[in-house]
Amino acid sequence: MGPLIPQGIIPMGWDFVIALLIGIAFGFVLEASGFSSSRNITGVFYGYNFVVLRVFFTAVVVAMIGLQYFDYFGWIDLNQIYVLPTYLSPMIVGAIIMGVGFILGGFCPGTSYTAIAIGKIDAMVFTGGLFLGIFLFSEFFPFFEQFYYSGNMGNITIGEFFGISNTLFTLIFVVIAVVAFYVTWRIELRVRKNMTQYKF
Amino acid sequence: MNKNYIILMGILILLAAGLLVLPLKNNSKQLDPEKLMWDIVQPTRYVSTDEVAKMIIERDPLLVLVDVRPTEDFQAFSLPTAFSFPVDSLATDDAIPALTFDKRNLVLYSNDDLKSDQAWIIAKRLGLKNIYVLKGGLNRWIQTIIQPEAPAESASEAEFNLYAFRQGASQYFTGGSISIEQGPQAEVNVSRKKKAKAAEGGC
Repeated sequence: MGPLIPQGIIPMGWDFVIALLIGIAFGFVLEASGFSSSRNITGVFYGYNFVVLRVFFTAVVVAMIGLQYFDYFGWIDLNQIYVLPTYLSPMIVGAIIMGVGFILGGFCPGTSYTAIAIGKIDAMVFTGGLFLGIFLFSEFFPFFEQFYYSGNMGNITIGEFFGISNTLFTLIFVVIAVVAFYVTWRIELRVRKNMTQYKF
Repeated sequence: MNKNYIILMGILILLAAGLLVLPLKNNSKQLDPEKLMWDIVQPTRYVSTDEVAKMIIERDPLLVLVDVRPTEDFQAFSLPTAFSFPVDSLATDDAIPALTFDKRNLVLYSNDDLKSDQAWIIAKRLGLKNIYVLKGGLNRWIQTIIQPEAPAESASEAEFNLYAFRQGASQYFTGGSISIEQGPQAEVNVSRKKKAKAAEGGC
């Protein structure tokens, strides 16, 4: 059946509307889970709060397992899903820049907007810097264009790269995630004096 | 640690491990090579000229005749109701929509059955269904339907019946006239007995 838009089940023109709705939901969940607070989200770098790690690991793991079951049930054709091409060294450099900006500013791009939504001035300054960065990047793009497109490994998945099946990689990744959840929970227990556990 | 977390983690690992034991699913629409090999050696894809002639005469609604020869040849001579689709154009994107007929039987023909066999393999690879090949092609069509050979006198009755059919078909396709001898028609007298009584209302 799926993916819905490439199969024409949902007309192409609706993709921005759907993106907007998903964006609103994403922003709402980010705000609701405390991601508009710099203290919460940069804690992962200082080692006292690992909520970012847990949230994103959970998201990745759920999506990984879910998509593969959807593929198995025939609800979605994974072969038709667009896999972003991997440019290894430019991506490592980009990730470092992103991480440094994350620690310095106290937000990642998405959370800065949720923080603006609740009226945080530091987030507004952060977003100003974000636009400045986009502007400078675009203006100086020809200077590092060659590096930007270097090391193209194609639309490859990690499983394909290591020569294992995607399902086996999923299991390995889930185990890593669970171990990470446990270890970070132990660390938080030690580091934080007044820790309140989330109840659900 | 909260017990709920442990349960959730357990479910996650179980689901991920479940993925491993799922049988591999073949999502590709392409024909399995082994199945294609099997189909290639099967004679079931062939239909005889007699069968096709019968279908044309009976105006079989399921029959779709496809001429895979070059267009010039098609214009020079073709079977009735056939449409032209040269082998070369099978490689284009139009092939699948042009040759997809819901539940109808595609019969490919060329001068012999070499070209149509090639076309059959390509069409199979394209995922088309219900495709057949006219055995012997147009050469055999001429030999059997247009200019049928009389069987030897010692031949079986079935062969004579076939010959009779081919002669009729030949006249059908070449436009020849046939004279059917009809015996003198006797007049039919229909006599009806009159009913003794007029129908009366009941009760």
